[in-house]
Amino acid sequence: MSTPARRRLMRDFKRLQEDPPTGVSGAPTDNNIMIWNAVIFGPHDTPFEDGTFKLTIEFTEEYPNKPPAVRFVSHMFHPNVYADGGICLDILQNRWSPTYDVSAILTSIQSLLSDPNPNSPANSMAAQLYKENRREYEKRVKACVEQSFID
Amino acid sequence: MVIVIMGDEAKNSSTATEDVSQLNQDELIMAQQRQIEKEISETIPLVGDLENILLLEHEYSNDDVYQEKVKNLAKKYKSIRRTRPDGNCFFRAFSFAYIERLLDKKEDFDAFYKKTAKSKDDLVELGFQQFTVEDFYDTYLDVLKRVGDIAEVEGAKTELHSLFNDQGYSDYMVVYLRLLTSGQLQKEKDFYSCFIEGHTTVEDFCHQEVEPMYKESDHIHIIAACAALGTGVRVVYMDRGTGKAVTEHDLPEGCVPSVHLLYRPGHYDILYPI
Repeated sequence: MSTPARRRLMRDFKRLQEDPPTGVSGAPTDNNIMIWNAVIFGPHDTPFEDGTFKLTIEFTEEYPNKPPAVRFVSHMFHPNVYADGGICLDILQNRWSPTYDVSAILTSIQSLLSDPNPNSPANSMAAQLYKENRREYEKRVKACVEQSFID
Repeated sequence: MVIVIMGDEAKNSSTATEDVSQLNQDELIMAQQRQIEKEISETIPLVGDLENILLLEHEYSNDDVYQEKVKNLAKKYKSIRRTRPDGNCFFRAFSFAYIERLLDKKEDFDAFYKKTAKSKDDLVELGFQQFTVEDFYDTYLDVLKRVGDIAEVEGAKTELHSLFNDQGYSDYMVVYLRLLTSGQLQKEKDFYSCFIEGHTTVEDFCHQEVEPMYKESDHIHIIAACAALGTGVRVVYMDRGTGKAVTEHDLPEGCVPSVHLLYRPGHYDILYPI
């Protein structure tokens, strides 16, 4: 059955294949266009470098009027990522615009890895270390990077 | 309409665990918001049927101030069409009422179709992403075409009403008008920046308050939406303020309004003059 959300997701997928942004990839799962798997590669010159972080993206029929639910499957240590992998990012909540597509979502999360916002913490420990003990923060992040090879 | 999102449910679950910050608060809040929205959407259509204006009196049977104001309103308006209070009410009401009005006059409708057909290129030029804007633009034009192709005016209006109650079409109509409004604000940003409080830039304001669905409209949205469509609207304010009469505001000032909206704090419905 074709609905506006499904039609739009086919378009998003086509665009992601034809014009793939650097360092991110994503595709619908085999049987369900409403659930996607994605990978974000840790940005260069950040402690996340070399990591391959897996995510799931779940859309509802209200997409693109409402944002999808995006969640890291890989274990993350980041000020704006909850323990369950949920992400605290304005464009996935109150600043969502129907003009964003999957490509824009993934690149925004990628830049969140480079530029955490410790003032709106989802992981208070990560936020505190990011602000007060950058070395320990980077050590914890690097552990996630190594973990991401195994996952 | 304002939806209070911190209800009891969210509060209880956050105090139940010791480490509040580890709990995904955003999702709890969003889940509750979805529940409230679901209740509203099950009871109120996106765009309602025409109702006699005097039916409004029933809503205020114990309220003399409002009763008086409804009587006053009925001297100028014969009917009202309610819209769903989901934060999109201004955009949905305005979009519907303007197209409905254009259907009465073929030349005006055709001119608007031509104007709208050109609007996508303007948005892309302003920096909107072609790929996503296209999706909404195509639907907007499709709706105009479908109602424009029906020769008989009443039949066209019925089709418009039915499309505006189909969530898929209706929401895309709202999104596209939001994008046109955002485009208008950004095109004339020197002018509009004076109306934005604080240090927010026009671009930020558009990203936060105009483009996202379900964000309520203010004066500035209305002025820009009118400018984007090239028309004017009369907003009739009805609140508990003193005086027996309702207050009328034409936006932009001095215009000949093509659409009349009833504003009660937090919500817009469509009015039909006598």
